[in-house]
Amino acid sequence: MLNKFMPILMVLVLFISACTTKTPASVSDVLSEYETMNPTGKLVVYSGRSEPLIQPVISAFQAKYPQVEVLLKSGSNSQMANTLLEEKTNPQADVFITTEIFTAHALSQAGIFQSYEPPGYNDLPDTYKAADASWIGLTQRMRVIIYNKDLVSQEDLPDSIFDMVDPKWKGQIAAAGSTNASMQAQIASMIQLVGLERTEEWLKGLQENEVTFFGGHSDVRKAVGAGEFKLGLVNHYYYYLQLAEGSNVGIIYPDQNPGEIGIISNATTAAVINGSQNLTAAKAFVNFLVSAEGQKIFAEGNYEYPLLKGIALHPDLEAPDGLVQAKIDLEQVVNRFDETFDLIEMVNLP
Amino acid sequence: MFKVESLHGHRFFKKIQTPKIAYLAGVVALFAIIPIFYILIRAASGDPELWQRLIQTRLLKLLSNTLLLVFTVTLGTTFLGVSMAWLTERTDLPGRRIFRWLLALPLAFPPYIGAIIHLAFLRPRGGLLPLWTEQITGLAINFPYPTGFWGAAFVLVIFSFPYVFLLSGSALRSLNASFDEASRMLGRTPWQTFWQTTLPTIRPGITAGALLVSLDILAEYGTVALLRFETFSSAIFVQLAGRYDRSAAAILSGVLIILALIILLGEFKMQGRAYFTQIDSHWRPAKLFRLGKYRLIGFLAVFFTVMVSLIIPLSLLLYWSLQGMFEQNFGLSGMQIGSKGLESFVFNSIWSSGLAAFLAVFLSLPIAFYAVRHSGKISRLFSNMSQVGYAIPGVVVALSLVMLVNRFLPFMYATSLVVVMAYVVRYIPQAVRASESALRQLSSSLEDAARLLQRNSLQTFLQVTFPLILPGLLAGSALVFLSSLKELPATLLLRPAGFETLAVRVWIWSEEGFYHQAAPAALLLVLIAIIPLFFLLRREAIFKK
Amino acid sequence: MKLEIEHLSKHYTGNQFPAIDDISFSLANQEILSFVGPSGCGKTTTLRLIAGLEYPDQGLIRLNNQLMNSENTFIPPEKRKIGMVFQDHALFPHLTVFDNIAFGLRKISSAEKRKRVEEMLNLVGVQPLARRYPHALSGGERQRVALARALAPSPVLLLMDEPFSSLDAHLRLEVREQVRNILKSSHSTVIFVTHDQEEALFMGDRLAVFNNGKIEQIGFPENIFHVSETRFVAAFMGDSDFVRGEITPNGVITELGLLEQEHHFSSGIQVEIAVRADDIDFQLHEYGNGKIIKRFFRGAFNFYRIQLDSGAIVHVFKLHTEIYDTGKRVHTCFNAGHPLKIFEC
Repeated sequence: MLNKFMPILMVLVLFISACTTKTPASVSDVLSEYETMNPTGKLVVYSGRSEPLIQPVISAFQAKYPQVEVLLKSGSNSQMANTLLEEKTNPQADVFITTEIFTAHALSQAGIFQSYEPPGYNDLPDTYKAADASWIGLTQRMRVIIYNKDLVSQEDLPDSIFDMVDPKWKGQIAAAGSTNASMQAQIASMIQLVGLERTEEWLKGLQENEVTFFGGHSDVRKAVGAGEFKLGLVNHYYYYLQLAEGSNVGIIYPDQNPGEIGIISNATTAAVINGSQNLTAAKAFVNFLVSAEGQKIFAEGNYEYPLLKGIALHPDLEAPDGLVQAKIDLEQVVNRFDETFDLIEMVNLP
Repeated sequence: MFKVESLHGHRFFKKIQTPKIAYLAGVVALFAIIPIFYILIRAASGDPELWQRLIQTRLLKLLSNTLLLVFTVTLGTTFLGVSMAWLTERTDLPGRRIFRWLLALPLAFPPYIGAIIHLAFLRPRGGLLPLWTEQITGLAINFPYPTGFWGAAFVLVIFSFPYVFLLSGSALRSLNASFDEASRMLGRTPWQTFWQTTLPTIRPGITAGALLVSLDILAEYGTVALLRFETFSSAIFVQLAGRYDRSAAAILSGVLIILALIILLGEFKMQGRAYFTQIDSHWRPAKLFRLGKYRLIGFLAVFFTVMVSLIIPLSLLLYWSLQGMFEQNFGLSGMQIGSKGLESFVFNSIWSSGLAAFLAVFLSLPIAFYAVRHSGKISRLFSNMSQVGYAIPGVVVALSLVMLVNRFLPFMYATSLVVVMAYVVRYIPQAVRASESALRQLSSSLEDAARLLQRNSLQTFLQVTFPLILPGLLAGSALVFLSSLKELPATLLLRPAGFETLAVRVWIWSEEGFYHQAAPAALLLVLIAIIPLFFLLRREAIFKK
Repeated sequence: MKLEIEHLSKHYTGNQFPAIDDISFSLANQEILSFVGPSGCGKTTTLRLIAGLEYPDQGLIRLNNQLMNSENTFIPPEKRKIGMVFQDHALFPHLTVFDNIAFGLRKISSAEKRKRVEEMLNLVGVQPLARRYPHALSGGERQRVALARALAPSPVLLLMDEPFSSLDAHLRLEVREQVRNILKSSHSTVIFVTHDQEEALFMGDRLAVFNNGKIEQIGFPENIFHVSETRFVAAFMGDSDFVRGEITPNGVITELGLLEQEHHFSSGIQVEIAVRADDIDFQLHEYGNGKIIKRFFRGAFNFYRIQLDSGAIVHVFKLHTEIYDTGKRVHTCFNAGHPLKIFEC
């Protein structure tokens, strides 16, 4: 009996499969949205962000999608970037998260990412997303100066990062070393803003001023908080994190006066890898990162500036509207990125 | 096997069969040497402009830094190791039997954990020592900076000296009493005897050990990175992490390898010169030296060393772990990375090190067999080739494997097996030495007897040879296991997403300043490491009466 | 006297018996004294006490009329100017033969040093080996170098602790003759320790037989051999068998018959008579008092082992032409021609 029905069944199956492959746009939208709501399997995330700062949002994502197994590999921005370049023909990762936009842009130019516009894409500022949607900004971070209120009085506060080479701060400053991506990004930005020579002067001046270079900003903020140093050069949220731990620290938004360069800022980004093995989960993750839920975690947990419009800042956080920000040409910086490393090598920055 | 061309021929034609084992040994030797070869080629074919730039900016400084560190640490470990060995083996120091164990235990600590402890104690204006002295005495003493050259040298000496300690202890123990007595009869006081007779006899063995320590220092990454003293290894790592092309890293690696190979050749020479200090038939243990009024000083010296290298680090780790558990109220969930938690780190550490240990010993057997049973030029060559792993620092292994695996074995790429491969390449020399040593102690007539009793090669191996060399093989695998467990740079660079070992976790958490997570992981690492270490120490018969 | 030992004793804690118990003897200039005895009898200990490598519990050691130890002084070995050759030669493996020999020469110019070392090299006959290392020498060569090294600083006394025991038998014979010649030609005063009685008899001008920490007999080799004062010495040194007997007014009644000989024992005492293979004889006899259990062919003569009916074993020499089968009954009797040593049981 089945034999008779077989051909009819087969035709039916063929017909249905033919239909489903050519579903109209709206149906496929619905389908893909349905799919991204039900991701499964392994999600490989490469993160240039230090683990403690990315882990909360990953944990929240996992709570929402327990059937996804998140495999996180963290390292420095450039190390992960190198890995991605190595893996270009044999991609292993699904999502890449960086701490600054220059690496993201460079990788995008190398064709490592694929374009993806998550829901809410239009509510993200243009300055911090790729023109072809190959990467998007998640949160903004500003380069600020943290200081210990017990050791520094209001009158003595420095105005600009260039003040840090003043001998009166000799041995009193902490900063992250040249292996730190935010530091590298700052130097790259400065090269574009004030030129190679002045940046070199500044770096040499820092060394002559016996600045102590740590491996990461956590060490810097803790050291300043503990009173080991008067000043520290950090990303803004480190100040708030230290404040939350009860330290008597203050924050300086440098270079605000007319004629000065303004605050150097950057953004963390996320991108979907070209050739990702689990596109569904990758997209779901990126969606989560830019969703209200995800952005809230960054804002409330890490004191970062969420880039999605309409997300509330942490109540203690100073609003960025009144601050003068440095104008950085993304393309230019990325094209001259090599100069940053050459400079670092030349002045032997620790 | 013996072919005669013609009875009245001009010559006899002898066909010597190459033992099948030779081919196997050759394959393994090749496997051991390919990574290094690849790097050297990449370095040599590097852009000359790049060479020039490197020479101008970094090379000389790196060279001087690295050599200075290697030299100082080797000197320090030799001095500390030999003096500790002498105090616990040849004098009547009270408690020396316990001290023999305690002085060897720091081998369970990867040196960068020592660096973390060091930083915690001596951080200016924040470290534990300045804090305590200020609390107790009210004085603000300027303690030496923990970072930089002296900090790195100090930490490395403290955690590397046990190797020289064990070697010298073993050599001192095996010395025949009659050397000392002959020296006394020829007019030397006990003190002169030590310097003019005892030391020179054990010197080659100690030097060989010291050279191996210097190779370790050359390869050291974690400690120098944490303590901010730039050496070749850390510079290569930074290059790999901070640059988009590998060429500069390859060049630096090439120079580093040449340096290391020179040291390794020196070590070969020293090994060859190691004298026979033990004459079995009339061996008498040497008399103990009576410390007398120096007893207190000797005791304090040993006690202080044990405190600094073992008790204090362990205590601080314990303190942090407990503090984290009780005060900060985080549980195991605070130690999650992605979906992976503490159990997966422990599991990964154990299985990757275990697999590496097994593979290393397994692969070492053909080379050992060929070298010991068919001793000759080629077999010695293969044996020496297998030793180059000593000369390749973890960073460089990672670099070469990344390039090789990606090109030739893409299916293996980004799997945890690459990490295991790195361990094997780096530590197979240890396995080869252990296997050769075990085989050498086995008389070949045992195997001949088995053959004559109708066992073929494989059966002979399984039923006669293997059971007898098993203890030696286990020692080799324990050594590889211990080394792999502690390995950092290669694991950091090669690990696929989601694969974390305890060593990597300790490192990353410490870099971030998260000591309350790092400490329990470090404790676990040390505790696991003590198991193979214990096994090795017991085997050394050092600690038997 | 070069060396005087008075009432020397040494007791190791943990041992029931003393290692050395009240030993006294003296050594003349240029004399070779052999210490012989079974292992553990105290000869090596005595040597080490003289060398200063151990502390005596009791007694005095006087070297060239200088006291080596007393209540409140002890002269350490490096100050005694005593040379020692060890059982395992103990040549320093990191020095050449030349440097080994030169090791004991101090506070003299290097030209003098060279001269002396060359002298020593010649003396022991190892000149071509001067630049070699110990591991490249044969056993016999090593021992000769050890001797040269000990003699180079012209020691007051030379101690040799079983120096040939690590050589194989055939080599031993050759080397010891060479060594004795060297010792004599260098006019050395020597104490030579061995457990081999033949070696002791060969090497020593005099012998001291040790047993259980005491010296049983000290004297010239012939005396020791022929006129053994104790049963132990007779057994150890004298190649003797023992025949039991009982003292009677007429002589000693034994299995082998009556031995008429002067003695100082009272009647009825059980004694043992020391006999050598040339002191007794046998003839084939149906009923006899024993039987041949083995024959050893020794070239010029046969050496027969006889088991007496009492179970005792004796040995008899016969000319090589006299060949008897094992198992044959024989009658054994005394045939000494000189008085035999009698010991109380």
